[in-house]
Amino acid sequence: MDDINPADKKFLKELSAGIAALVLLSVLDRAGQPVYGYRIAKIVEFNMGSVSMVKQGALYPVLRSLENNGLLNSKVEPSVSGPPRRYYSMTDLGRQTLDHWTKIWGDTKDFVDSALKGVDHD
Amino acid sequence: MIKSIKEYLHQLKNQLVNNDPAIIQDALSDAEEHLRDAYNNALVVYPNMSEEEALAQVIEKYGTPDEVASAYREIEVRTPPALARRKTYTEKRSSFARFFGVYADSSAWGALLYMIISLGTGVAYFTWTVTGLSLSAGLMVLIVGIFVFGLFLLSVRGLALIEGRIVEGLLGVRMPTRPRFSDKTLGWWDRFKNLFTDGYTWSAMIYMLIHLPIGVFYFSLFISLIATSLWAILLPIFQVGLSWDRITSFTIGGTSYQFPDWFTFVLAIAGLLLLTTTLHLAKTIGRWQGGLAKSMLVRKDTY
Repeated sequence: MDDINPADKKFLKELSAGIAALVLLSVLDRAGQPVYGYRIAKIVEFNMGSVSMVKQGALYPVLRSLENNGLLNSKVEPSVSGPPRRYYSMTDLGRQTLDHWTKIWGDTKDFVDSALKGVDHD
Repeated sequence: MIKSIKEYLHQLKNQLVNNDPAIIQDALSDAEEHLRDAYNNALVVYPNMSEEEALAQVIEKYGTPDEVASAYREIEVRTPPALARRKTYTEKRSSFARFFGVYADSSAWGALLYMIISLGTGVAYFTWTVTGLSLSAGLMVLIVGIFVFGLFLLSVRGLALIEGRIVEGLLGVRMPTRPRFSDKTLGWWDRFKNLFTDGYTWSAMIYMLIHLPIGVFYFSLFISLIATSLWAILLPIFQVGLSWDRITSFTIGGTSYQFPDWFTFVLAIAGLLLLTTTLHLAKTIGRWQGGLAKSMLVRKDTY
């Protein structure tokens, strides 16, 4: 993944813009409790497998923007081992939005899949 | 090749140099929190790895300073701060609609609320700062005075953060959303010296002190304006509708006067205009106050 070519990189970047928000919402929804940034990044990394879709550093501004839009809440808590950590959790608006976005994603995925497969239409 | 987390943060800050100071502070604290967690974790999971390799691996996953900086810039463009959502359609409305449209503008009401509570916050900040300063000065002859002083300086930063939240919520100016961390490797004495020599601690303290006179001014100005406009707006109801002469008449040199009934309606219209102007004034002063708070409470010289 070190020598990813520029065209691939650009494509990934454009794809990841909206997906990161959806993925973060679903990670936090499934966690069911407040989670801090590094844990979130680890969960995302684990799910991502071998594709290097987004850098971890690009997740944090997305978290902040989700919070600014009222989809997430956060609070800072001191940690024993290092700097204080910001814990993020879902809001009701976040859950509703996740439902909508999951549906939009499903439709998008079907559309892209069928376009890629080139299903004949009569 | 980046050799330390501090160096990474320094480069990240340079990448963001022309951006909003509040984004810079957000980006730096996110990066510091993550990199320290990831780095400590890498050293535990791979005990054989050298510190440089661990850091390189952590940065590889987090992104280089310029990648991270561009991620913040892109997101920030799309996210307006709390109440300050600019309505783009306002520009197309007539000047009449724009003038009275201020009643539907949440940032004007936010600013008005800020002006009214600034008396309370001003008194609280001022009292705390003056008490803290004099207590520290008095105890300075004893060794414990240094600790008291250190705690007091820390508390001023805490107050600065609280004021930042109020300013962002009510005035819609982006402010830092969390404290900056102190360097874990430094001892207590070095941390105290950093706190003491940091211009930001002192500008925050001056802000706390001048907030009292500013708060008194805002409070008096806006309470008077609101009271005057409400009196004028309600005058026809009291005088013509309810005939409460004891409220609506005024005495000059022993003789009691009252406005003619038709004139109370003129006054009511004037009161409505004054109330609307008051909201516009609150918005304008709010913008100015937000700029002041940002220049005194947000650090510009991090790392």
